[in-house]
Amino acid sequence: MTGRSEVTVALTGNPNAGKSSLFNALTGAHQRVGNFPGVTIEKHEGYVDFQGRRITVVDLPGTYSLTPFSPEEIVTRRYIIDEKPDVVVNVVEGANLERNLLLTVQLMEMEVELLVALNMIDEVEEKGISIDVKQLQKLLGSHIVPTSARQKRGIELLLDHILRVADGRIEIVKNKLTFSPEVEQAVEKITGLLSHERGLEGANHRWLAIKLLENDREAYQLVQRHPVWVKVELALQAAITECERLHRTDPEVLITEDRHAFIRGAMQECVSQPHAEKATVTDYIDTVVLNRVLGLPIFLTVVWGIFQMTFSLGAPLTQGLEYLFGLAGHALEPLLPDPLLKSILVDGVLAGVGGVVVFLPNIVLLFIGLSFLEASGYMARAAFVIDKVMHRFGLHGKSFIPMVTGFGCSIPAIMATRTLKSRSDRLATIMAIPFMSCGAKLPLYVLLAGAFFPPATAANVMFGIYLLGIAVGLWTAWMLKSTVLKSDSEPFVMELPPYRWPTLASVVFQARMKAVMYLKKAGTLILMAVILVWAASNFPHSREIDARLALEKAHIEASGEAPERRSAELAEVSARAQSSQLEYSVAGRCGKILEPIIRPLGFDWRIGIALVTGLAAKEVVVSTLGTIVSIGHTGQAVTDLSSILRSDPGFSQATALSLMVFVLLYIPCVASIGVMKKEVGSWQPVFVYTGYVLLVAWVASFVTYRLALLML
Amino acid sequence: MKLSELHVGDRAEVTSVGTEPLVRRRLMDLGLIRGTDLKVLRVAPLGDPMEIVYKGLYLTLRRSEADGIGVKLLDAEVLPPVKEGRQRHRTRFGRAS
Repeated sequence: MTGRSEVTVALTGNPNAGKSSLFNALTGAHQRVGNFPGVTIEKHEGYVDFQGRRITVVDLPGTYSLTPFSPEEIVTRRYIIDEKPDVVVNVVEGANLERNLLLTVQLMEMEVELLVALNMIDEVEEKGISIDVKQLQKLLGSHIVPTSARQKRGIELLLDHILRVADGRIEIVKNKLTFSPEVEQAVEKITGLLSHERGLEGANHRWLAIKLLENDREAYQLVQRHPVWVKVELALQAAITECERLHRTDPEVLITEDRHAFIRGAMQECVSQPHAEKATVTDYIDTVVLNRVLGLPIFLTVVWGIFQMTFSLGAPLTQGLEYLFGLAGHALEPLLPDPLLKSILVDGVLAGVGGVVVFLPNIVLLFIGLSFLEASGYMARAAFVIDKVMHRFGLHGKSFIPMVTGFGCSIPAIMATRTLKSRSDRLATIMAIPFMSCGAKLPLYVLLAGAFFPPATAANVMFGIYLLGIAVGLWTAWMLKSTVLKSDSEPFVMELPPYRWPTLASVVFQARMKAVMYLKKAGTLILMAVILVWAASNFPHSREIDARLALEKAHIEASGEAPERRSAELAEVSARAQSSQLEYSVAGRCGKILEPIIRPLGFDWRIGIALVTGLAAKEVVVSTLGTIVSIGHTGQAVTDLSSILRSDPGFSQATALSLMVFVLLYIPCVASIGVMKKEVGSWQPVFVYTGYVLLVAWVASFVTYRLALLML
Repeated sequence: MKLSELHVGDRAEVTSVGTEPLVRRRLMDLGLIRGTDLKVLRVAPLGDPMEIVYKGLYLTLRRSEADGIGVKLLDAEVLPPVKEGRQRHRTRFGRAS
């Protein structure tokens, strides 16, 4: 039999079964490899050309089951039913076969073309577990291919099997699982009823019957639309009464227990585990890491360590980059004859984009840290350790992971809240995330803290800013959960995956992806914003100021003073003229309009401009400040923004603190507002939220500024 | 007896899973059904979620959720572990007395 040239394969499996790694090994395309249950929420696709045919691989989210309990499960189920992939590969973790088989059994019930990848076979061998693959194949009716994504074992064999299943060269035996007599009887009766319903032609009747008995919402909705429902409902009720009478429980429990009984039977027949199972490495690590006394300090140390690494290790690299940009500016300046072109390139592009790019090392280091935590399995422990605190604020321990991701960027963080099942938990977490200071705000803190505080204090100031963000975020969540979102919360039922060494490749890949994303942002969005800001701050150009400058210059030239004194005076008047030009420009006028509102916070109109442009992306606050402030300071190195700021009369320690607080709290960037709208579903809450955020930012900055004026 | 009443180190058998439907579904999907042997491994540093282990699965759940799970105590931790001689000694911070 010759098959079609294109074959579609869906990968399914429990979280932590190594599904994503297998996907990478199959397709060669890298993607997120994590260890926290439910890290792959989106559908990931890749393809591989094998034996002259293209195999499209779709990586479905990790699930334990196929009840419509969570978004992941719904996604998986719908994909299999609606898209009808040619082959479904169930990735099971060899060392934890028993619990992985629950999903396998449910896939068998769906009667799909199922292939089982017995993954992490290297771990199975290490642990001395022996699995009778032949016998297990007989019991399941599907072929089993031992694989190890890590060691790239069994990949070709799996691809070969996929093609053979797709072509029908391997026959999949279906309906291997029969339930206990009462359930089986009910299933058969309902299957019979459903098969007579015209509207349900083409549906898998037996599967639907099982789902109805399991009290499955989606199955109910489907069948209720058809006239056969009247009969089905009676049959269901009879089954429920019967099960209650004989077993004192409902069919849902019985079906699950039957599945587990089938699995237990298969395990006893096919798997032998070494009896004296030693405490695993994970056990030893957890006795320390989750210890009642040490657990919290370790947790705090880990989080603190990540930030220390980001800032201390990043600082020299940042300075190096700053130096390079400075050199480039100096080298470029004499080469450009046209003053307008020189201004746009040196003051605009180089100062703006350069000011953003120099923070690349910090961003990369932060993401290396976060992806290490996630891939190693510590993130789930962190949720366990911190759940009580999060729960007190109405959140879930799992909210912690998206919130920490928020320190990198709000956008992936908001998307990561999809792991939360309850809508109210999700909304509260989403609204708290923008207060988790994102990586884009970091450049401003580094700049201001570095410029106005000695190095040791600067780190503390930044730590304080982060803490403030966390406090406001948690307070927001708590407020929401105790008022508008006062509905039930998601249960905390979570598996702790075994610790695994993240592969260097996946951590490096993560960091590289983030670096590229950051640079792309710098190259496109930020470059555009920078040019816009530059134009807004250079036009309209006042001829009057030009004329006055020329007059003053001529006056100084003619004064007959010492040459050094004359050039100093010349520099001063031209700086003053440039500053007046800026005030005259579009940007200056916008800033002026804002000034009365932000004056109480210690901000002048120039900061107003920076804040407005910062809506595009938070990094732009720094680049705008760089552009605007350096215009008024001719003759100084473009990149050394900190010393320009220090010498600027509009800035003080109090202003710096106030500005950091304001940028920490005020409206998230345009992109994250967009994502937020997408996840929340409508604009109204997002607008209300934006207003709330602005108010909080204003009040917090006001208090900070006034306190700082009193104390510093 | 409820799962939430067990102490760290106790072993027990599940007799009923009677929490709210959503939690029950999830617990059963994770293999926590009637007849499962479990062991209370530890309690989080702040005293709330607890960690249990059964069939090689390390599961964390809040006490409020553990309230809905009925268990039969198999061995309390005070007794010398019968089959679990290979297990390392557990800390006893979770004990009430």
